[in-house]
Amino acid sequence: MLDVVRPKIDIRGVSKTYASERGPVLALRGTDLTVNEGEFVSIVGPSGCGKSTLLYVVGGFLEADGQVIIDGAPITGPGTDRGIVFQEYALFPWLTVRDNIGYGLERQGLPAIDCEKIIDRLIGVIGLAGFDNRFPRELSGGMKQRVAIARTLARDPAILLLDEPFGALDAQTREIMQDELLRIWLETRKTVLLVTHDVTEAVFLSNRICVMSARPGQIIEEFAVALDRERPREELVLSADFNTIRNEVWLSVRRQALAAGQQNAEPS
Amino acid sequence: MPNRRKGTLAAALRLMGRALPLVLFGVVWQVVVSSGLINREFLPPPTAVAVAFADLFTGGDIAKNLFVTLFRAGAGLLIGAACGVWIGVMMARSQRFKDYVMPIVGGTYSLPKSALIPLFALWFGIGNVTAIAAVFLACLLPMIVNTYHGVMTTPKVLVWSAQALGTTRREVWSRVYLRNALPDIFTGLRIALGFSFVLAISAEMIASTNGIGKLIFMYGENGTYDYMFAAIACVVIVAFFADRGLLLITRRLLGWHESAVADHDRRRA
Repeated sequence: MLDVVRPKIDIRGVSKTYASERGPVLALRGTDLTVNEGEFVSIVGPSGCGKSTLLYVVGGFLEADGQVIIDGAPITGPGTDRGIVFQEYALFPWLTVRDNIGYGLERQGLPAIDCEKIIDRLIGVIGLAGFDNRFPRELSGGMKQRVAIARTLARDPAILLLDEPFGALDAQTREIMQDELLRIWLETRKTVLLVTHDVTEAVFLSNRICVMSARPGQIIEEFAVALDRERPREELVLSADFNTIRNEVWLSVRRQALAAGQQNAEPS
Repeated sequence: MPNRRKGTLAAALRLMGRALPLVLFGVVWQVVVSSGLINREFLPPPTAVAVAFADLFTGGDIAKNLFVTLFRAGAGLLIGAACGVWIGVMMARSQRFKDYVMPIVGGTYSLPKSALIPLFALWFGIGNVTAIAAVFLACLLPMIVNTYHGVMTTPKVLVWSAQALGTTRREVWSRVYLRNALPDIFTGLRIALGFSFVLAISAEMIASTNGIGKLIFMYGENGTYDYMFAAIACVVIVAFFADRGLLLITRRLLGWHESAVADHDRRRA
């Protein structure tokens, strides 16, 4: 039900330089991107192009030149309006599944009864009933990532920042997790910014795909994805329109990857 | 319940297996002395030590001195651990603090702390303060180094996750960094525990009128080596149980940690 298109995230001329042993490295150069409310946008690009860096800047974890504007106000640091999920799960290893999911709620100062209700519901959503009191080390990769997603959803952020969330999972688990993420997004219509190197994943999940150039990263190409998300996965993935757009994006990323390869081969 | 009986039997066998090297050590000791290879005036046989041990305990002298030594070791350990954790965290928090402290830590790391005991005796006199100061100094360094390591190896993504879930910059220290450092802090604590006994006893041998260290020194001076060995055995036993106790607490507290699993599996196998 998106009547009015409203910009949720506005990235304006963001540049980021890292200090390294061989001098400063420019990771991002004047990156611009606007993500509208309720939109699912993916950023793809060759490895090392700075796509994760851009996500961390939006998260407020890294300082950078330029501006990130959320709901019209520039950000000053991390905030609970932007939930984040990392590839390496980043669960608190000393907390149980239940306490991990409840961490943000407890910080919020919610009454215990309400916390318990939300946690119970989310454990049901991610299908981990009965695992409440397990520690992260006792869980498989897929289970850990489910808990990480539930932990982020518990705080009900308006924006989800996903940093290659399924990159460490096996192919089958990854597809199941994508289905679940899609379902959650269709239900909640949160604004999502996903960083991935998996082109099929990007096409399967997003409304819009941004391709980043090799370092220093910039968004150089955008693809609108107008696919019917209600269709079952098999039908969608095998359809001609899905594959047309997948091939286009893949070619675009490949061009960047080749350019990056040449850059690296040049003597500096 | 044949199963349970089999279990206790296996446990008993395992315990015997573990005690075997100790028993062998005792046998070799006895043989070396009995055969006259070493003069029994200089090395009393284990049987004589056992008799002396029994005598020490019935006399009640040992308990009083043991308590004194435990107090000194415990107090030094506690203060050293608290300060060590604080300094370790501060080093991780502030580059400038680290720049000041690091050379001192590095410089004193390999220094034998017992060398300072005569100096401490000069400053603090004979007794508790000197012993506690020596223990404190020895415990400080492993606590600093391990705490610092534990804090510095905290994954960035844990800190960022906590912040995105509403943890303030200040709270992150107690909620993430210290929690993450806890396994390392306990490793430091275990090393420091060993040091605490060594230093408490060294200090007592040099500058004290009581404590197990003084007892050991006295018996050694008098040439009553059976009693000296009995007192040493006493320290070994107490230190062993203190270490086991700390290990037990560590396992309870760090059930979430990977090392706890590894240890559990090893015991099962």
